Amino acid sequence: MENPQLAWYIGGPVLGLCVVAMRWLLNERLGATGAWSDVIERLQARSVGFGTRGWMLIGLVAGAFGYLLVAGGPDFHGYGWLTDTFDSTVLIAAILVVAGVLIGYGAKLAGGCTSGNGLSGTAILSPASLAATATFFATGIAVSFVIKALI
Amino acid sequence: MATRAAACLIGVVFGVVLSWTGLSSPEVLREGLLFESAYLYLFFASAVMTAFIGLRVLKRRAPRAVLTGEPVAWTTARPERRHVVGAALFGVGWGIADVCPGPIATQLGQGVPWALATTAGFVLGVVLYLGRERAPAPALRPALEEG
Repeated sequence: MENPQLAWYIGGPVLGLCVVAMRWLLNERLGATGAWSDVIERLQARSVGFGTRGWMLIGLVAGAFGYLLVAGGPDFHGYGWLTDTFDSTVLIAAILVVAGVLIGYGAKLAGGCTSGNGLSGTAILSPASLAATATFFATGIAVSFVIKALI
Repeated sequence: MATRAAACLIGVVFGVVLSWTGLSSPEVLREGLLFESAYLYLFFASAVMTAFIGLRVLKRRAPRAVLTGEPVAWTTARPERRHVVGAALFGVGWGIADVCPGPIATQLGQGVPWALATTAGFVLGVVLYLGRERAPAPALRPALEEG
């Protein structure tokens, strides 16, 4: 990494406080999939303007853009194991599209992603979120090891 | 207006954290999933612990949400098949692309061109789910269609 990585004991608690702030100010669950879904549903309905969750997504993108302006970056070139293994741009893009479909469909079906189920859901000890979090960590880890063994 | 500004500001903090911790990077995430680094788990566990304690304090001290006036309340859900099946599909995509929906957004903000492909797939996945959700259940479809 070119920029010093923020210590986990600062980054983790700050993100945890984002979950608390969302409840304290708006009584809403913090979740990136819900934020994306809000924007997608409103675009599908040709609706003008976004809801609060949609605005959180705009903030998420803007925060990363702000970090880019201040710190430079991104801190990675290429795209992990995919660009290390394959030369074809079309093939890598196709793999990312397929993975994206799995991420989007799977997160909606499970009722949340790493933030909605993994963070906000486990913090309230929701049994459904605990089951989902255990499942996606297990499959994510298993898939990573399978890929490592194959390449 | 104030609710949207607050949500946007929380999003900004979320985006800066994901960028600064490097969790937008597929390499950092993959190191975590391959147990080459403990960072992902320490970050995740400390975030959950903070939210766990903070939400409990909040429920006692602040009965109503500051900006909406709604009672601060949440419901938990019992695990169903869809939570496990959905999370398994999600986990496969997560292990391949090394991003989840938050980092997809922050990669876009950081100008990572590959994020356009992941975003296209992700949006398609959400649209497919929304379409399935809106479609009437087969048994409820009018007989006319079978016609």
